[in-house]
Amino acid sequence: MSNSSHSASLIGTRWVELGLALFTFVLGAVVMSGSVEQGIGWGDAGPEPGYFPFYIGLLLASASLANGVLTIIRWKPLSISFVSRGEFRQVLSVFIPIALFVCAMPFTGIYLASAVFIAWFMWRDKVRAKPYGLLMIASISIGAVLASYLIFDLWFKVPLDAGPLGDLIATAWRSLK
Amino acid sequence: MSEFDSLLQGMNLILTPGHIGLMVVGVLLGILVGVLPGLGAPNGVALLLPITFTMSPVSAIILLSCMYWGALFGGSITSILFNIPGEPSSVATTFDGYPMAREGRAAEALTAAFSSALIGALAGVLLLTFLSTRIAEFAMTFSSPEFFAVYLLAFCTFIGMSKNPPLKTVVAMMIGFAMAAVGMDTVSGNLRLTFDQPALMTGISFEVAVIGLFGIGEILCTVEEGLVFRGEHARITPMVILRTWAKLPRYWFTILRSTIVGCWMGVTPGGPTAASFMSYSIARRFSKNRDNFGKGEIEGVIAPETADHAAGTSALLPMLTLGIPGSATAAVMLGGLMIWGLHPGPTLFAEQHDFVWGLIASMYLGNVVSLLVVLATVPLFASILRIPFSIIAPIIIMVCAIGAYSVHNSMFDVMLMLGFGALGYLFKKLGYPIAPLVLAAVLGDKAEDAFRQSMLFSDGQLGIFWSNPLVGSLTTAALLMLFWPLISGSIKAAFGWRARHSIKAKTL
Repeated sequence: MSNSSHSASLIGTRWVELGLALFTFVLGAVVMSGSVEQGIGWGDAGPEPGYFPFYIGLLLASASLANGVLTIIRWKPLSISFVSRGEFRQVLSVFIPIALFVCAMPFTGIYLASAVFIAWFMWRDKVRAKPYGLLMIASISIGAVLASYLIFDLWFKVPLDAGPLGDLIATAWRSLK
Repeated sequence: MSEFDSLLQGMNLILTPGHIGLMVVGVLLGILVGVLPGLGAPNGVALLLPITFTMSPVSAIILLSCMYWGALFGGSITSILFNIPGEPSSVATTFDGYPMAREGRAAEALTAAFSSALIGALAGVLLLTFLSTRIAEFAMTFSSPEFFAVYLLAFCTFIGMSKNPPLKTVVAMMIGFAMAAVGMDTVSGNLRLTFDQPALMTGISFEVAVIGLFGIGEILCTVEEGLVFRGEHARITPMVILRTWAKLPRYWFTILRSTIVGCWMGVTPGGPTAASFMSYSIARRFSKNRDNFGKGEIEGVIAPETADHAAGTSALLPMLTLGIPGSATAAVMLGGLMIWGLHPGPTLFAEQHDFVWGLIASMYLGNVVSLLVVLATVPLFASILRIPFSIIAPIIIMVCAIGAYSVHNSMFDVMLMLGFGALGYLFKKLGYPIAPLVLAAVLGDKAEDAFRQSMLFSDGQLGIFWSNPLVGSLTTAALLMLFWPLISGSIKAAFGWRARHSIKAKTL
């Protein structure tokens, strides 16, 4: 990428390394404390429930700690960019919609959220010389949702949460019959 | 020969129109997930798992294993035509496959890739046919300490042999173990690590982790790289196929060597990815056309593809006989087996004779079906990659979300998938491996049971892992593997190899 604002580094790799090591360390600590709650010693029936997970947590925490130390030792070479601003904007432009999609699902049901998500994704794509027509957007988003209904719900009997709207359609359909 | 009889029995079982239809469907779905970015064999299989619950185990395993073969084949299509490895294990195929396609020899490269892949796969199945009963019989004598030692060996091999930094492999693996521990404790019935959250009571499913880590994480990485799919075109004609087949016998030694490398890496948990890289670099070192490697040398396509598929199929050998999967996809299948109520391991051969031999027989047939289907459908699947990313990406994400939801019919799992997706993105960028996490998440409970039982036998003495020659050598081998990076490093340092090696590496 030639554009300087696009290639400007957002954050150095070392900070992300350190952050992830901290995260996994905390995870290890949580596992350890959860195991201590269950007892990590030797009970009447042999090892207590927390016996094995405790050492898992301990290993996780110590390996994370070592990763953190390694990061600090290699502080200079790890100053290279983790992600540039432009790249990260790209990632966020996909991650945020996915997050919204996932958060909307419990309220709208899977079908409606998916249809809106696909439609929005297509509508937003301005990179193309010619944007998608409304008909194209509608047919693909509704088609994909319909296909997943047919495959999962009808064919393989894996019920998907249709949400309030789906329930409404289902009752309307039943009363029509 | 009892293996032969059993195999015939298995063939009898699977040679029905329904099963062959399932094979074709599985292969087509497999090629599809292999071709699409963000979907790969492990999460393709994870996504299909909920669908298989209503099937008989034999049908289910045919569908899933054929999906695996299809995905292995599909990965090579994108590597050769688009220079994008659809699967991590087909990265090595891009080195020479794509240059060949650029020269207009795409059809030749594809045919060579598929055909050598079939040879590798069949070799893996042969190994499975003739070794599995013996290994299973041998493993029947195992008790808990031996089983734990085998698990330990598998996990330590991952740490010691991985290309990723060992400590990062440990972190990934321990997260997997911690996931497996969440929920009901199988021995005491206590709820562990749930912190009174009802959503955590059912535990964290490995399927959700696989879908998030491989699926969403992959999509995020793809977006960041700003990939535009610009591919070469290929038309495979019978003439090209025959001409390429006529060339193949010339490379018999490369194929043989790659098969051995592949089978070895598949049985030990090196996995297909390591196998294909290793096979490629060996082929480059010993080939007469060394200088042509990387510029479109057909041998550079044959070597990784043969090893990739040989490893992919032989990964099922430890999975079926010992309950230890040799690759991430095999790990997910193993999880499936357990969900269907089967117990992978030596008893499977005694108790589920039909299932095991149906699977092995289906591997012969499934791989041949894969070759035919893939040769016929290359243009179709190549055109799928030309569908704009803004259409294909949201559909993939929707499928992932549905897949995560349908594991437990829980919205919490979808959220979890998103979290794993973010984690997968960071993992991939920082060089943390994902496969050990999946392996540990699937095997965690079994490894823990074996460990706890061993501890019960010995009253908490770790000495039980050296109590007889078998378990002792397994445990010692595991520790050797664990410290292999240190051991090999010190050996090299002692002989002063490292200095010379680094000079060589720089000149390469």
